[in-house]
Amino acid sequence: MRRTFVILALLTLGLLSYALYEGLVAAPTEQTMGEVQRIFYYHVPSAVTAFTLFLINFAASIIYLAGRNQKADALAVSTAEVGVVFCTVVLVTGPLWARPVWGIWWTWDARLTSTLLLWLIYISYLILRRYSTSGQTPLIAAVLAVFGFLDVPFVYMANRLFRTQHPQPVYFGGPGSGADPRMTYALLMNMAAFFCFAALVVWLRFRLERAQQDFEETQALEALLQPDARSPR
Amino acid sequence: MSTVPISHRNKYLKFGIATTIIVVALGYLAYTGVQQSKSYYVTIKELRGMDNTVYTKRLRVAGNVEPGSIHRTGLHVEFMLVEQGNKLPVVYTGTEAPPDTFKDNAQALAEGSFGRDGVFHASELQAKCASKYAPAPQNAPAAPAKDMSQADPGATGPE
Repeated sequence: MRRTFVILALLTLGLLSYALYEGLVAAPTEQTMGEVQRIFYYHVPSAVTAFTLFLINFAASIIYLAGRNQKADALAVSTAEVGVVFCTVVLVTGPLWARPVWGIWWTWDARLTSTLLLWLIYISYLILRRYSTSGQTPLIAAVLAVFGFLDVPFVYMANRLFRTQHPQPVYFGGPGSGADPRMTYALLMNMAAFFCFAALVVWLRFRLERAQQDFEETQALEALLQPDARSPR
Repeated sequence: MSTVPISHRNKYLKFGIATTIIVVALGYLAYTGVQQSKSYYVTIKELRGMDNTVYTKRLRVAGNVEPGSIHRTGLHVEFMLVEQGNKLPVVYTGTEAPPDTFKDNAQALAEGSFGRDGVFHASELQAKCASKYAPAPQNAPAAPAKDMSQADPGATGPE
């Protein structure tokens, strides 16, 4: 297991380095925005990765609600935590890009507002999981996750349905959208690298959560088997 | 465990109904929201079509900058917004210079109020970005498309 992890980690590192080169050096400079447009290679892959992780969290939460599956719950925590990290990257790179090209750091249009809301929903989810002392925490969290996920398709559709400051989609958008093939290639490389990196971290976090669940279960069993000793150790 | 007791089945049913109601309500709100207020900004045509309240509202108007119409005097910028043949003169007086992307033919968004003089008085100016990314011309000085395989140690650029 450790060996597999090291090999995958090295591969991911290689892919991340290659994608970094593709995004910062190999891809052509954009004609109207200039070098700052290269934030695109971080902003968009982070968003797609966060959406994917929240989708897995959504599926895992449903599975947990249906059958109280412990593994599903562990996967839900792991994907939510890593998803929040990527969502944070989106909310940091966005303003950094907006300031030079729009002239403003932030505005309350549908795309930006719904993305901030998405971040807040999953922050609440993590805080709930962390500080709730109820034995029903995974259940409550799963219900929150199922409804919280509804914001993801809304974020995705926001700049298609509404007039926004955020540009219309570059891909799967209307006429007058699109990017140079070399830019698309750099974007896809970064997306692949981000996916691998996210998968790796989720895997580690998942194993940690499983170990934690086992530990808690053992502790609970021990407490049951020793009725005299109120608190073992 | 294999058969779900009646009480549980009722609970699931209630939960299902509640879920459906919430989802339908949210969907309805989102749908009507799209119908009535796409108005993060208005177009010039919509601005012209508004009733007298247009003079009292704080508005955002979007359009393209007519080439050659930009006149700058420090932080005071005058230009013409064009959108599908409709023109709107804009006077911007703000605390910050407009971004570099604000130039001829760029999509721009002005925030402020529409005066009875027919001029839009903007206090904020944003550029909108196209969703079409094209490479800068190769001979442009700002595009050092360096090829790593041809690294020439004698000719290192200003970077």
